[in-house]
Amino acid sequence: MSDNKLINQSISRRHFIKGASTIAGGSIVSLGLMGTQSIFANPDNIIRIGYVVPRSGPLGVFGQGDEFLLAQINKQFANGLNIEGKQYAVEILVGDTQSSSIRASQVAKDLINGNNVDLMLTSSTPETVNPVADACEAAGVPCLSTTAPWESFYFGRGAKPGEPSPFKWTYHFCFGVADFAKLYIDQWSKVETNKRVGVLLPNDADGNAIRGLLLPSLEKAGFTIVDAGPYENGTSDFSQQINLFKKEQCEIFNTFPFPPDFPVFWRQAAQKGYAQQVKIAQLAKAGLFPAELESLGRLGYGLHAGAYWHKDFPFFSKSTGMSCPEIAAGFESAAGKQWNQQVGANAALFDAAVESLIASRTPKDKVALAMAISQLKTETAVGIVDFTSGPVPNCATTGLVGVQWVKSKSGPWEFDLPIVSNADHPFVQLTGQMTPYKIGG
Amino acid sequence: MLDSLIQGLLLGGYYAMLAAGLSLMFGVAKFINLAHGDLAILGAYLVLFGVDQLGFSPWLAVLLSLPVMALLGWLLQKFLFTRTQAAGFLLPLLVTFGLGAVLQNGLFGVFGSDTRSLANYIGDLSWDSWQITDELSVGKLPVTTFAIAILVLSGLQLMLSFTRLGRAIRATASDPEAAELNGINSHAVHRSVAAIAMVLTALAGSLLAMRAQITPYDGPMQLIFAFEAVVIGGIGSLWGTLVGGIVLGISQSLGATLISSQWFQLTGHLVFLAVLSVRFYGTIAHQRGGWWMLIKQLAGPMTGWLSQGSIKAKATKTRIKNG
Repeated sequence: MSDNKLINQSISRRHFIKGASTIAGGSIVSLGLMGTQSIFANPDNIIRIGYVVPRSGPLGVFGQGDEFLLAQINKQFANGLNIEGKQYAVEILVGDTQSSSIRASQVAKDLINGNNVDLMLTSSTPETVNPVADACEAAGVPCLSTTAPWESFYFGRGAKPGEPSPFKWTYHFCFGVADFAKLYIDQWSKVETNKRVGVLLPNDADGNAIRGLLLPSLEKAGFTIVDAGPYENGTSDFSQQINLFKKEQCEIFNTFPFPPDFPVFWRQAAQKGYAQQVKIAQLAKAGLFPAELESLGRLGYGLHAGAYWHKDFPFFSKSTGMSCPEIAAGFESAAGKQWNQQVGANAALFDAAVESLIASRTPKDKVALAMAISQLKTETAVGIVDFTSGPVPNCATTGLVGVQWVKSKSGPWEFDLPIVSNADHPFVQLTGQMTPYKIGG
Repeated sequence: MLDSLIQGLLLGGYYAMLAAGLSLMFGVAKFINLAHGDLAILGAYLVLFGVDQLGFSPWLAVLLSLPVMALLGWLLQKFLFTRTQAAGFLLPLLVTFGLGAVLQNGLFGVFGSDTRSLANYIGDLSWDSWQITDELSVGKLPVTTFAIAILVLSGLQLMLSFTRLGRAIRATASDPEAAELNGINSHAVHRSVAAIAMVLTALAGSLLAMRAQITPYDGPMQLIFAFEAVVIGGIGSLWGTLVGGIVLGISQSLGATLISSQWFQLTGHLVFLAVLSVRFYGTIAHQRGGWWMLIKQLAGPMTGWLSQGSIKAKATKTRIKNG
């Protein structure tokens, strides 16, 4: 195996510098070839997959599960991948965006031009996905992505509603704004409230998209919306918004904040007595990761959220060879941390990738591969991904379930996350009853 | 209105605490530390380490972290800052910018990307409040933060006014060479100042970790607030820094309430810019014989009160006077 090279040879100074410069300059790491010795003698038999994700920087938390996932995928395809009777070795090249859009674009170009990848995968926030997809679209490399609302992938990169899709090579599956509407209308009916919703939306791409698209459909469904108006990320005093929500008696609270702003808001809401009035506190964007909730202490118990993956999903992940509970348990024992949604979402990305490679019949042919992705309909860890019936070409939607962070009764982690609403994802079973928010749980 | 004033005032206490270290370093050592925010975050992580790994109570961990940070400040000044400062004005900026990047990625390497907070260790203090009237309540943590800021800054001001070290610091701040002539080791004074500044910074970082949550990359944002508070309050004066922090906090809070919630940071930035330009033109006005003269001269070309020539003559005269 090629990755044994460094171990067998003593490392000379020149080798070391060469290796170090690769790490520092390229930030692309090959995970070694999967497949037997004889296969990769011929480069035509190696499928190269570029995987561009934030592994360091503020978004680094999204990449927490990758080490475990890649090890699992390595194991699963140790003997390569058999497509139409031909055995292919699979090489996954991991690029780190360092949480920067500019870096993401650069890393993608390096993988395309320097490593000649056959397929690009990318995930986690529009800041990562969009620049990588743009680089692939320009270079004519098939690209599959997830975990960014599909609207920001499709419209955010210049597509116009009602016009044919300008994209040939780039495909994306994720939830969209309509999924939030469906989820919230169901989830907010689970607890008795006065149907008055206080919304806290920042002046950023997500906040404004939600303001324009989600709020009207919630109003149509009979909710009274009290919008505190856009604010800048990094605001450290929210007294104006909290006073408004208190005055308007909003028993439902909904926010799509820049994640670090949420605890500042919520602590102040408790100081000013608003958190004590709220019956449903629905988070999106913040509250994805258990660590965020743990740092809220007692204020975190009972908060409501949406989830794009959950350990109790009934789906099977082909790329890792595991069911959803197995992925969660595997990650927990490998990382020593509670599972998070992104582990499953990234597993789903590999599931869809493997299925596309197989469906293409000739995975080294980029046109055939892009064609196969455009017609993909397969089961992944997050559910069925179906590009034939997406909301717009190049996009497929996946469902959201409603969850609630509750104090764990049995441990070992501080929080349990029962599924309390499944209107947007009917294949998933409920695992708990939604309760009103109450400080201290 | 009253509510935003109070919230802004309390927030200002935190800004003042954050800015005090920066102000002290700049005022005495004439050193601009761009890693200031990252050092605050480092202090917070040190406290988190003490609480998490060593099992100390949060306030004890804060106390124990202070000497560690003081030592770090001393070492940084001795081995890094003094040397870079000898090489001119630009190098300290570059070096501390790099130091910031090293700290951010070092913290990421050691503590990982999870967001952390001290709030869950201080229990309900993080969100409890005193209800003053039906409409008005103040959080216990903001009040505690404000009280700590006032106590620490007053203590420091007393130290500067009445102790031997304080006199040495003031002497070095106003003229290091003259201080040296009087037997003060200005390098030693700078090292003590760096140590004190780092203690203040670490304390501010811990207070931040109690009111918000932190990640290794949160430093630069804090640096901006610290800088603004320092500039508004006047460089190198602790009372000024306190006033600067409070003015920043109140203007942000009032801007958000009176204009629009979008104006929270913008109002702070505008007040900062306004103070900066008043200071800037103040210097020019002083050279040109006061504000009235400056306005007259600036208005001159437009209204024709003064001919171009006389402005030039005046400028030349000023230049001769000054140099």
